[in-house]
Amino acid sequence: MGLWLALAALLALGLRRVFVGYPGPGLACLAPREAALVAAASEAMFPTGGEIPESGPDAGVPAFLDRYVATVPPQVRLLMRLLFFLVEHATLVFPGPAPRGWRRFSALEHGQRIAVLDGWRTSRLFPRRLVFTSLRAMLTMGYFADPAVLRRIGLAPFAVDSPVCEADLLYPPIGRPRSEIRYGPADLTPPSDGTPLRLDGPLHPDYRGGAQ
Amino acid sequence: MSAPASQGEVRVFADYERDFRESCDVVVVGSGPTGSVVAHELAEAGRRVVLLEEGPPFTPGEFELEGTLSMTRTMREAGLRATRGFVMPTMQAIALGGGSLVNSAICVRPPEFVFERWCSGFDLERTTRKDLEPHFDAVGEFLGIAPTPEDVQGPRNLLFASGCDALGYSSEPIARNVRGCRGSGECFTGCRSRAKQSMDISYVPAAIRHGARVLTSVQVQRIRSDGRRAAGVEGQVVEPFSGKRSHRFRIDADVVVLAAGCVATPVLLHHSGELANRSGQAGRNLQFHPGVAVMGIFPEPTHPQFGATQGYQSLEFLPDGFKLETLWAPPGVMAVRLPGLGLEYKRHLARISHCAVWDAIVSCNRSLGRVVPRRGRLDPVLHYDVHPEDVKIFQHAAWVLAEILFAAGAKRILPGIHGVPDVLHSLEEAEVVRRGEMRASQFVSAGNHVFSTTRMHGDPARGVVDELGRCHDFDNLYIADTGIFPQCTSVNPMYTGMALAHRTAQALVERT
Ligand SMILES: Cc1cc2nc3c(=O)[nH]c(=O)nc-3n(C[C@H](O)[C@H](O)[C@H](O)COP(=O)(O)OP(=O)(O)OC[C@H]3O[C@@H](n4cnc5c(N)ncnc54)[C@H](O)[C@@H]3O)c2cc1C
Ligand code: SF4
Repeated sequence: MGLWLALAALLALGLRRVFVGYPGPGLACLAPREAALVAAASEAMFPTGGEIPESGPDAGVPAFLDRYVATVPPQVRLLMRLLFFLVEHATLVFPGPAPRGWRRFSALEHGQRIAVLDGWRTSRLFPRRLVFTSLRAMLTMGYFADPAVLRRIGLAPFAVDSPVCEADLLYPPIGRPRSEIRYGPADLTPPSDGTPLRLDGPLHPDYRGGAQ
Repeated sequence: MSAPASQGEVRVFADYERDFRESCDVVVVGSGPTGSVVAHELAEAGRRVVLLEEGPPFTPGEFELEGTLSMTRTMREAGLRATRGFVMPTMQAIALGGGSLVNSAICVRPPEFVFERWCSGFDLERTTRKDLEPHFDAVGEFLGIAPTPEDVQGPRNLLFASGCDALGYSSEPIARNVRGCRGSGECFTGCRSRAKQSMDISYVPAAIRHGARVLTSVQVQRIRSDGRRAAGVEGQVVEPFSGKRSHRFRIDADVVVLAAGCVATPVLLHHSGELANRSGQAGRNLQFHPGVAVMGIFPEPTHPQFGATQGYQSLEFLPDGFKLETLWAPPGVMAVRLPGLGLEYKRHLARISHCAVWDAIVSCNRSLGRVVPRRGRLDPVLHYDVHPEDVKIFQHAAWVLAEILFAAGAKRILPGIHGVPDVLHSLEEAEVVRRGEMRASQFVSAGNHVFSTTRMHGDPARGVVDELGRCHDFDNLYIADTGIFPQCTSVNPMYTGMALAHRTAQALVERT
């Protein structure tokens, strides 16, 4: 009986270390532990300062991933959640550098997090590198979804006028009935004449900074 | 069978209110480059055509400029589909127009030696390049296929030409199905300039003009058949993006043409009771052109956001097993291949404005995989392994890319090969890329050119379709997508797929 109690206590402690004690709330789709992992990993991947001043959290990476995870198909969402779970809790089994490297990833210090991620990145084992590449890919997409980051490195998309062509008279916006097709024959415009975009031309409205 | 053409139309998700049943002369499954060509040619010839597409039509207001969000909307499995074995991402579109909505519009006719191999290795008699020239010409004229103009090339494409010139390698502007390109470099997320002649704005509207009925947001789940004859198809309406299924439909047809893509078609055959698979070859022989890319960093800005997405190519190394081309994608997608993390990673990201990325697509004829259907689902599992001899081509290609980048003036290159230093500063340092034996898993690759899962073969025991795309086991079931290629094309596959589809359509016009 005593042994069972001890085992149950150990199990409860283990579960607590895995699931309980996250400081912040979750996001719309990400649970508190996933939100904590994404914030911590994006901070490690994109720390404040350097050649692009914005940090991962500054660039809204957690909010982006929250939206992204919500839009992918359920099977893909499950895989993403497993990936977050793995990175967050692997340090309970394979600890990060001392001191107290055996905490959850999101509870580690900044330098420890970098060391842990570098371990995934440079591993000789392909599956471990794959975990790193997948996590970094998601974080990077989120970082580059931030207009300020894109403007900073000169890669914000240009404003482009879309000519109205025959196809635009056939297709309504996705999910809407054909009665909502936006154009009629009188709206047709000449097709693109191939004038090259100008490097100093206007940016896409969603990517313009406040000053523009 | 050729009744007068009906009034053409498009139907979208919001139009379906109940189960329905219709009939036609020819039903075409899939509106990618191959299915659209077939639907157009038959509608133009007066046949009653129904074109079925699982994805929705996109208009510029719905293009997402951010790469990930775009992929969740336009690609199957949110663009995260990957092979098992050699783990490699592979994207298949789900949209009216199929892959043409998101591809770079590269149109290249394969060299004669490709067709010679096909003919001699697969008992084919009428599939030489000369046989296919009229079909290439017809498609080329319709889509305005022409070399990319100089003024929309931009530095990252032109640097490739100068690097090739310096080394004496041939290079040329890429011919594309584009009219009026403005050099926005965003073919991958949809052409806002409406310059790219993707099927949704070219062949599909033309087919509708000739009376084709185009039903979007419908998923074909089964081919109906009776003995050696296909009777039509059936399936369900699916909601865009969520994939939620609703009303059932059935289309009765005299001829069924499958153009659902090289990955989806064998799964459909399987779900229809191992249809057309007496040879046992359906789903086998899966081939890719795995891509190997190297990034160079130049002293001056390359302004990579300007310029045709893929504007220049070199066919110099086709006999060695690879084709070289320039490459661009949304910045977030390009950044994924940069090394490091933390401040070091940021340093690399900040230099993307000075980069050029060039890639090689590799002819991996020795590397074969399989499309394995999953029970009750149309999303398959893909198994693929790269043959060690093909890994040597990866190495050769990466080395040549390094040579060209340095010859064009790159200060350093990022080979993106595990086990090789992240950054190489000279050609001497780059020697490591071609020295020694490497494993496929050291390379970060992608495989968006897919073929051969329902291959063409003169011998019915060794292939699924004959030279005109007719399933050997059937009188009236055809396959038109790139699954029918006996082997890879060594060049970008879309144009060959459309030329073969054009030939199949002409044969059908004669037969029906
Ligand atoms: C990012 C990217 C870039 C590329 N760039 C180039 C390039 O520049 N040049 C080139 O030559 N090739 C390129 N390719 C490859 C090229 O796009 C494909 O080879 C080509 O689209 C294949 O045409 P297809 O008609 O065989 O199939 P797809 O284009 O795959 O079309 C099949 C269609 O069938 C639909 N479908 C599937 N299953 C069903 C079902 N059950 N019911 C109803 N509909 C269904 C799909 O939604 C899809 O629209 C690229 C591919 C990608 C992904
Ligand atoms: S580069 Fe831009 S303008 Fe040119 S075809 Fe591609 S998306 Fe259209």
